[in-house]
Amino acid sequence: MRVTSNTFPNRLIEQITRLTNRTNQYQTQAATGQRIALPEDDPAAMRRVLDMQGQTKKIAQYTRNIERHQELAQASYASMSASKKIVDRAGEIATLAGGINSPEQLKTLAVEVDQLVARAVQVANTKNRNDYLFGGTKSDTVPFVANKDAQGKTISVSYQGNTELAESEVAEQVTLSAQTLGANTTGSGNRGLYVDSQSGADIFSHLIALRDNLQSGNAAQIQSVDRGNIQKDEENFLFHYGTNGVTQSRLETSMSVAKQRLESLDQLVSRETDVDLAAVIVKLTETQNAYKAALQSGGTILNQSLLDYIR
Amino acid sequence: MTGLGLFGSLNMATRSLSTARAGTEIAGNNLANVNTPGYARQRVSIVTSNTVPSSLGPQGTGSMAVGISSLRDILVDSQLLGEFSIRGSLDSQQQSLQYIQSASGQQIDRQAQGATGAGSIDASGAQNGIAEDLANLFSSFQSVSNSKTTDLAERQVLMLKAQNLSTQFNQVGQRLDGVRTAIGNAITVDVTSANRLVDDIASLNAEIVKTEVGGNGRANDLRDIRQQRLEDLSKIANFTVSETPQGASNISIDGVPMITGAVVNNRLEAFDAGGGQILVRAQGTATTLNFQGGSIHGRIEARDGALVKMRGEIEALASNLITEVNGIHASGFGLTGATGNDFFLGTGAGDIRINPALKNDPRLIQASASAGAVGNNSVILRLAQLGDKPITSLLGQTFGGYYAQSIASMGQELNTLNTQIGNQDVVQNMLERQRDSVMGVSIDEEMTDLMKFQKAFSASAKMITTIDEMLDTIVNLKR
Repeated sequence: MRVTSNTFPNRLIEQITRLTNRTNQYQTQAATGQRIALPEDDPAAMRRVLDMQGQTKKIAQYTRNIERHQELAQASYASMSASKKIVDRAGEIATLAGGINSPEQLKTLAVEVDQLVARAVQVANTKNRNDYLFGGTKSDTVPFVANKDAQGKTISVSYQGNTELAESEVAEQVTLSAQTLGANTTGSGNRGLYVDSQSGADIFSHLIALRDNLQSGNAAQIQSVDRGNIQKDEENFLFHYGTNGVTQSRLETSMSVAKQRLESLDQLVSRETDVDLAAVIVKLTETQNAYKAALQSGGTILNQSLLDYIR
Repeated sequence: MTGLGLFGSLNMATRSLSTARAGTEIAGNNLANVNTPGYARQRVSIVTSNTVPSSLGPQGTGSMAVGISSLRDILVDSQLLGEFSIRGSLDSQQQSLQYIQSASGQQIDRQAQGATGAGSIDASGAQNGIAEDLANLFSSFQSVSNSKTTDLAERQVLMLKAQNLSTQFNQVGQRLDGVRTAIGNAITVDVTSANRLVDDIASLNAEIVKTEVGGNGRANDLRDIRQQRLEDLSKIANFTVSETPQGASNISIDGVPMITGAVVNNRLEAFDAGGGQILVRAQGTATTLNFQGGSIHGRIEARDGALVKMRGEIEALASNLITEVNGIHASGFGLTGATGNDFFLGTGAGDIRINPALKNDPRLIQASASAGAVGNNSVILRLAQLGDKPITSLLGQTFGGYYAQSIASMGQELNTLNTQIGNQDVVQNMLERQRDSVMGVSIDEEMTDLMKFQKAFSASAKMITTIDEMLDTIVNLKR
């Protein structure tokens, strides 16, 4: 092939352009640590990475959901323990009343139980982040309202909430609620913590009955009815303790699954996008050497012509 | 004996002087044009001049220059015209698709994302594609589904994320529409350049025919310039060319004659075929020209292919998002018990926006399924789960999946083009090298020629002095 004066410069420009392009690509890869950034780089990988990044965001959101559920479960547990102490004390008082004959002493106990009723209502109306914990989904309404007589004595407690729980996702299509229902008198569905017709628990009316029987000195009634009723309340609390524990351990499992998925997704994305830095740097050095060689050889050849040898 | 005689020999020496001078002149011209684009090196054609009879037989009378020829490879020239058309088309397609790619604003930035997908830079909004904003919207639905009611912070965040997504849709839509307009403008500019080239070629045809008529030799330089113009034109539009016996290049595009001899039959004209779809036809006719190559073809191809597809997909994504989200949202109740507010307003990517009423009062977000229970979240939960739901009118894909698919298929087209251009580069470079090897000027060769002709010139001059001396001898015989 005949080589002309413009063959060398043209070829040199071609080669240098190609080498600078490559240097640019390798440099970008080394600087970003990524093999692909734009859709044109590797469309199929781009699609997979976009899907995986979408999933990553979703799962990260699930971990936030789970944290929120955990907070709610722990707050509910704290209220449950406080309420359980009230019921425990009421049980003690009911047992104690069996050995007391003095109506005056019983009346003193009645005063304590009256306070227990007030405390139970207060605990049942606990708020978490400004929402009532035990009112079902009517979370902006005070769930338990004490109805008082003219003397200011609580004669009954009525439930203002509903029997619905708000569930949210902890994984794809897996929803749960860490909330506990305050009361359920429908006989079906989620059991109520304070009032529940399925288990016969009704802490408020049972405490009120105990108080009234103490007040009137009706020790026989306390022994035959009230002790058993309070027993039912205690058992209902134990049931809810158990449920809360199960929910918390489910949340923990969901959390560790979510974290594992996040880690493996990150590895998968890394496999799609990340460069082998050592390989890139070797390639970059190679390209730079070729670039220098092209310039140097070009410089030598372009400088020479027949003109150097004729006068 | 007869023969040239001394005077004949003197004439012969004079002829060889001018032959050598012509040789140096052509070498000089070649050297002067060593870097002229499209210049084909020229050679002086030297033949032996007619013999004269002598007793020794026919005797040579020296040499003479009979013409200047230009070294062109017609086959490579015509092949290159085709390759330039393909290259022009690929280049403009690549350029248009790169615009589309940047208009989408979608890229992967791993460093901005933490391992848990919630890196600090990402969280502060370093990434800006529809994919991220879509994922953020559904995450925010989740957050609201999981947040307590009287706390409005999550609801405010939801409205902000929804607004980001709407703005992103608006911007991508606008940018893609902008690319469409830019392509239309580029076609118009191409048409103007093509018409100027058509005029140039026609007048060059006239010049060439005029110069070459009557066997005055080839108009090499004019032909070089015409070849250049033809190549320029082929980069814009592909055409068929045929050379007349008189030396004119007749050109037609898609069967429509553009140039016959020195006459411009038709010029190109860009017109709006409706909705800003700029196409090209012959001036004054109604038929759209169908290009097979050149930048006009590439631009039309990219616009009516990848751009229309991408724009349609973004539109489908936005309009389905509006209908699906509003459809679910409509069944809910806000914290105040209010219902009947749309979440998104608008109908597509161009005008999607959040309902300002909801932004001003996030309590109006209809998350609850019953008017009385503010803690009910089943409506917002369904919205959160919408992100995983296959949408029938989006080819049964999720919103995120459909968008990723759209980006990937656009990326695939650009990726294929990049490869095609790489291959085209190889072919074109090879042909250009081949052509350069035929018509390119070599300084070394020209310098050698220069020396060769210079020596011949000196030798011929020496011949004249020799004859002169011989004539002197004869004249001085009689003394």
